[in-house]
Amino acid sequence: MDNTWLRIIGALLVIISCSGLGFFMAAQWNEHLRTVEKLRKMIFLLKGEIVYANSPLTEAFERTGRKAGGEIGVLFENVSERLSGQQGETFYTIWQEEIDKLPKEVCLSKEDKQNLKGLGEHLGYLDMDMQERNILLYLEQLDLTIGYLRKHKQEKSRLYTSLGIMGGLFLTIVMY
Amino acid sequence: MERKDELINIFSRSIREILNRVTIDFDEVQEIRLRVGAPLLMVYRNEEYYVTSRGSLNKEGKDAYVVSKNELKETMEYMSNYSLYAFEEEMKQGFITIQGGHRIGIAGKTILDESGIKTMKYISFINVRLSHQVRGCASEVLPYLYEQGREIYHTLIISPPRCGKTTLLRDLIRQVSNGSEEHAGLTVGVVDERSEIGACYQGIPQNELGIRTDILDCCPKARGMMMLIRTMSPRVIAVDEIGSREDLEAMEYVMNCGCKLIATVHGNSIDDLKQKPILRKLVEERIFERYVVLNNLGRIGNIDQIYDSRGTQLYKAQVHQMGIRWDRQECMAYG
Repeated sequence: MDNTWLRIIGALLVIISCSGLGFFMAAQWNEHLRTVEKLRKMIFLLKGEIVYANSPLTEAFERTGRKAGGEIGVLFENVSERLSGQQGETFYTIWQEEIDKLPKEVCLSKEDKQNLKGLGEHLGYLDMDMQERNILLYLEQLDLTIGYLRKHKQEKSRLYTSLGIMGGLFLTIVMY
Repeated sequence: MERKDELINIFSRSIREILNRVTIDFDEVQEIRLRVGAPLLMVYRNEEYYVTSRGSLNKEGKDAYVVSKNELKETMEYMSNYSLYAFEEEMKQGFITIQGGHRIGIAGKTILDESGIKTMKYISFINVRLSHQVRGCASEVLPYLYEQGREIYHTLIISPPRCGKTTLLRDLIRQVSNGSEEHAGLTVGVVDERSEIGACYQGIPQNELGIRTDILDCCPKARGMMMLIRTMSPRVIAVDEIGSREDLEAMEYVMNCGCKLIATVHGNSIDDLKQKPILRKLVEERIFERYVVLNNLGRIGNIDQIYDSRGTQLYKAQVHQMGIRWDRQECMAYG
């Protein structure tokens, strides 16, 4: 009798945890999309600060970071702080190091981070036109990422959740 | 010390280390000059010195530190806060103003387009001119500039470069704006085309310009004067380094509006102004009621002479063995 109950509880636990994992994966996909969309909004703000307000990078990053908030906002503010410190490092070095310091909770893929680092490679270089083109190029990359994430959002969500539940059921059957 | 740190941070790392070893008082440094492949020079108390890699100064050029191309490039990056693009307009004029109000003159290869100078590349010469705020340096002149009532005279400060005309103008603005026991403060509008007077950083003046002062930063003088009159109703308008025909027209407009004007111009004397086609009109038509002539004998900002609109001398510096002493003299006809 006891053994049967234990088996049922075990089976339920396996099903719940596997489904949970599935739901978690689906939620991660959505979170990734939200983060990239927020990043896009911030880059638009940054573009405004640089191209229309003619602000230097320190000021532009500080204002955008403060306005947007969140983990990426903190990234922008930290970059601004280090730039004002003028410790003799190049902008690209500071930018790369700060992106590497982003907490793991920030839902950005390796590729996203690589693209974000790429934005810093030419920021501040040459004239205003160059800044605008550089930012527009990055915004195009972000649009592609957002397009891909949106297109596959439903199917991936369904896939991850059903895989989770089915995987849990499968494991239960196998172990029973 | 804070001022020294703030200033040193704009240089490349190697020059930073050298300047950190320099023990002189940075409040007395006037210029630091960087040229590719040439020695690092510093103008301190009106004298030019070579800077050695150990941070000592000498006049003979022994062991002078030679500036490299990369150091200049790095310095430009730090000076502009990694954002040269934000200084595009200023670079067209050949200088940028940084936090603290210091003016950095640059020279290199200019790139032209249809509208004139587009930008500058291969920047190989940098002149860092340190801004100085000498509170009270205008106190000597001020009694000569007030009319019997509470108004001040239209005043022109004439001075060769590096004699402290902007420093004097800055303190004049501060004192006129704040007022004193004898004179009530007046609303002053400042058109700061090169960000030198107020040294605004993100819109906030870094130099003290008085409590009744409104500053139009980085605005062309002629247009700025008109704008201020229409928008801020100033009693006095102050501008630095006048010289163009548009400036002259705007100044006439200001005077016709009942505003008083304080301006500065490059030159050694009133006679110098008479040689210049545009400025000659100023003297001949007696537009200004007071002329303050500066020199740099002994120290920066020395007032040499003060004249009224007819060229009558009201004030003359007396040179004696110990240096310069200021005496009020009986009126002497000028020229």
